[in-house]
Amino acid sequence: MLCLATGKAASKELERIDQLFFSYANNSSGLIDPEGIESFCSDLEVDHTDVRILMLAWKMQAEKQGYFTLDEWRRGLRALRADTIVKLKKALPDLEKEVRRPSTFEDFYTYAFRYCLTEEKQKSIDIESICVLLDLVLGSRFGPQVDYLVQYLKTQTDYMVINMDQWKGFYRFCTEISFPDLSNYDPDSAWPWILDNFVDWMRAKQG
Amino acid sequence: MVLHKFGEKLYSGLVGTMTLHLQEMAKTIEAAQGNLFLEELNRKWNDHNKALQMIRDILMYMDRTFIPSNRKTPVHELGLNLWRDNVIHSSKIQTRLLDTLLELIQKERTGEIINRGLMRNIIKMLMDLGSSVYQEDFEKHFLEVSADFYRAESQDFIECCDCGDYLKKAERRLNEEIERVSLYLDSKSETKITNVVEKEMIASHMLRLVHMDNSGLVNMLIDDKYEDLGRMYNLFRRVPNGLPTIRDVMTSHLRETGKQLVTDAEKLKDPVEFVQCLLNEKDKYDKIINLAFSNDKTFQNALNSSFEYFINLNPRSPEFISLFVDEKLRKGLKGVSEEDVETILDKVMMLFRYLQEKDVFEKYYKQHLAKRLLSGKTVSDDAERSLIVKLKTECGYQFTSKLEGMFTDMKTSQDTMQGFYAAYAAELGDSPTLVVQVLTTGSWPTQPSITCNLPAEMSALCEKFRSYYLGTHTGRRLSWQTNMGTADLKAIFGKGQKHELNVSTYQMCVLMLFNSADRLSYKEIEQATEIPSSDLRRCLQSLACVKGKNVLRKEPMSKDIGEEDAFFVNDKFASKFYKVKIGTVVAQKESEPEKQETRQRVEEDRKPQIEAAIVRIMKSRRVLDHNNIIAEVTKQLQSRFLANPGEIKKRIESLIERDFLERDSSDRRLYRYLA
Repeated sequence: MLCLATGKAASKELERIDQLFFSYANNSSGLIDPEGIESFCSDLEVDHTDVRILMLAWKMQAEKQGYFTLDEWRRGLRALRADTIVKLKKALPDLEKEVRRPSTFEDFYTYAFRYCLTEEKQKSIDIESICVLLDLVLGSRFGPQVDYLVQYLKTQTDYMVINMDQWKGFYRFCTEISFPDLSNYDPDSAWPWILDNFVDWMRAKQG
Repeated sequence: MVLHKFGEKLYSGLVGTMTLHLQEMAKTIEAAQGNLFLEELNRKWNDHNKALQMIRDILMYMDRTFIPSNRKTPVHELGLNLWRDNVIHSSKIQTRLLDTLLELIQKERTGEIINRGLMRNIIKMLMDLGSSVYQEDFEKHFLEVSADFYRAESQDFIECCDCGDYLKKAERRLNEEIERVSLYLDSKSETKITNVVEKEMIASHMLRLVHMDNSGLVNMLIDDKYEDLGRMYNLFRRVPNGLPTIRDVMTSHLRETGKQLVTDAEKLKDPVEFVQCLLNEKDKYDKIINLAFSNDKTFQNALNSSFEYFINLNPRSPEFISLFVDEKLRKGLKGVSEEDVETILDKVMMLFRYLQEKDVFEKYYKQHLAKRLLSGKTVSDDAERSLIVKLKTECGYQFTSKLEGMFTDMKTSQDTMQGFYAAYAAELGDSPTLVVQVLTTGSWPTQPSITCNLPAEMSALCEKFRSYYLGTHTGRRLSWQTNMGTADLKAIFGKGQKHELNVSTYQMCVLMLFNSADRLSYKEIEQATEIPSSDLRRCLQSLACVKGKNVLRKEPMSKDIGEEDAFFVNDKFASKFYKVKIGTVVAQKESEPEKQETRQRVEEDRKPQIEAAIVRIMKSRRVLDHNNIIAEVTKQLQSRFLANPGEIKKRIESLIERDFLERDSSDRRLYRYLA
């Protein structure tokens, strides 16, 4: 009986999650498209560029930027145990805490990069977008590093785009290297070349 | 007496009698005056020896039976011991003997003649009394006194002699001591006394000698003082750290002068002279090491590493070495015997070995060879091929196959031209002669170029050739490299002067225009020929602005070509020669932009080589850390060029991006090969 009850409750919950999905979805494509996301964000009272939307997308493991499929929606909302906008709003602080846990953050961080790859076979992201993304995901934790890195990325001319290896390198750099003295940076270890250059640039700046 | 058990009495009687007798002897010896002392000692020693011989013979029975069984000292030895204790060690003789001996040696050292025979006998006596007597009563003191003597003497010498003289003196002293030992000392003393001389005269003053102002090692090297250098080498070899001291000074001097040489702005103006200076420097030191340093391997290595160091300080060395070869193969080797040619080429190859950026040399070599072949300017085919064989040995087949391709093209082109003229002889009549060299793309350092407009009679001929060539070689594409050709023109000037002009294809195109015009503006020429403007300027400059070669006249007269200039045939052209070669104004060395372009091409060519090396290494190692991969790639490529670690890193990252490699998920210094 108990089993049945929870089963029933679960199916009820799923029904409400689906209902919520369809209230934002585009009727012809069956997806929540950028327009749907916009109205979803305004109901949630969160800006669509807010990092928490990226966290939601991560929780849903959304594949394509600007779109949620029904499967993704279900995956995310069930995990958050939220079937209404109100519950979802309440779940956000916990979601944020979960993402900020070191064990999950790296997964979220690489997900953020992949999420921005919009084209088939695209492997790297332009500097402009990378700067925005860096600020979004690392800005609150590594403010000074991100500020300098963004400043450097915008002035350097060696690279037009950033790939996953470099992206991962940025995060490791923030977590491992003492900043701003850079005392434990060893250019002979395998840091991506762009970080060698960044460090040179920083040191020149510091005189 | 022994038989009657009086052995003990006999033995002690012998000891007593001999002791008394020797004490008497000692007294007479002591009484000897001055120089006679040693002679007296020697005489008494001989007497004692003779007496001892007889006593031993007489007491032979005791010697054989009583003495061994009673563990007494044998007669002869007893006699020597008693002599030692009563004579040599008598208080009045012991020190006098030592002083006399040392005094005599001192006299001999200061040039006096002494009685060496007597010395030898006395020293022999000391040695007969046992090696400990020789060492304790003479050798120990001898060595001490010698050390004092040489310490003082070397101090005097070093104050007043130059390095060469000092070394001569030291060498002489050393030989004297060796001679002294052979004449009257124990041969075991030789190493001991030479050690003293070496320590006092060489080791203590080594640095001061090497660095002596105006006469030290550096001056000897500069002035090629083979004898002095050889002496220094042989003397310094005897002391610890001697040779490294010479080697280090030589190395730092060589590096310093080499560095000055390769950065000397004057020398850089003439690449041939620059390389000649390097070769002279190498010859100079080869000779020094051969004549003075007995071909010491460690010195040769020091020489090589010094050259490698400073040659690579100048990034243009590869270009200059190739230019040197170019000059030699164009004219420098005319009339030189085959052996001498080989010697020069071998020397060039030796410099080539020092280069870190061999690929840069190869790039220039290819360019220069191409120019030589196309202009027919090479002096000797044998010399060209010999150098290619040498390069093949050094760099392998890959590089030289392109060069060999160039030679093949030249040969094939000759045959093609023969075929062409055989087929078209009748049809062509008296039209100009065309010589085409068909160059395989890839083998030659061709640059994509715009074909300029050829004169009508030439372009018709070119078309004929094209159809002939493509008729026998279907599927090929021909494009004309008008920037590389030459032409011979017959020209008649105003007063009927006839000349044959040897010009470039571009110059030919310009000159032909004047067959149908008297005056042409720069613009008109540019329009008619479509020669790229920088080339056109150089071409007009060489036709109108070079004295003695100015077949054209320009208005206004000036050294540079302006867009508004007008050109005329120079009716007053005059030359002593019937054949006039009009060169193109070209910088022989590369200009700054050309240099950068070549550099860029070199860098581009290196990328795939670095990547290939990384992949080769990772394929066999599967997992490797960053530092090791850098080291292995550098090692694999060093026969070609010195790979920049930063560039290797970039190539690794590019391979990661293309999924050939991945970074280990936990240790980011490890790379994994993805099959």
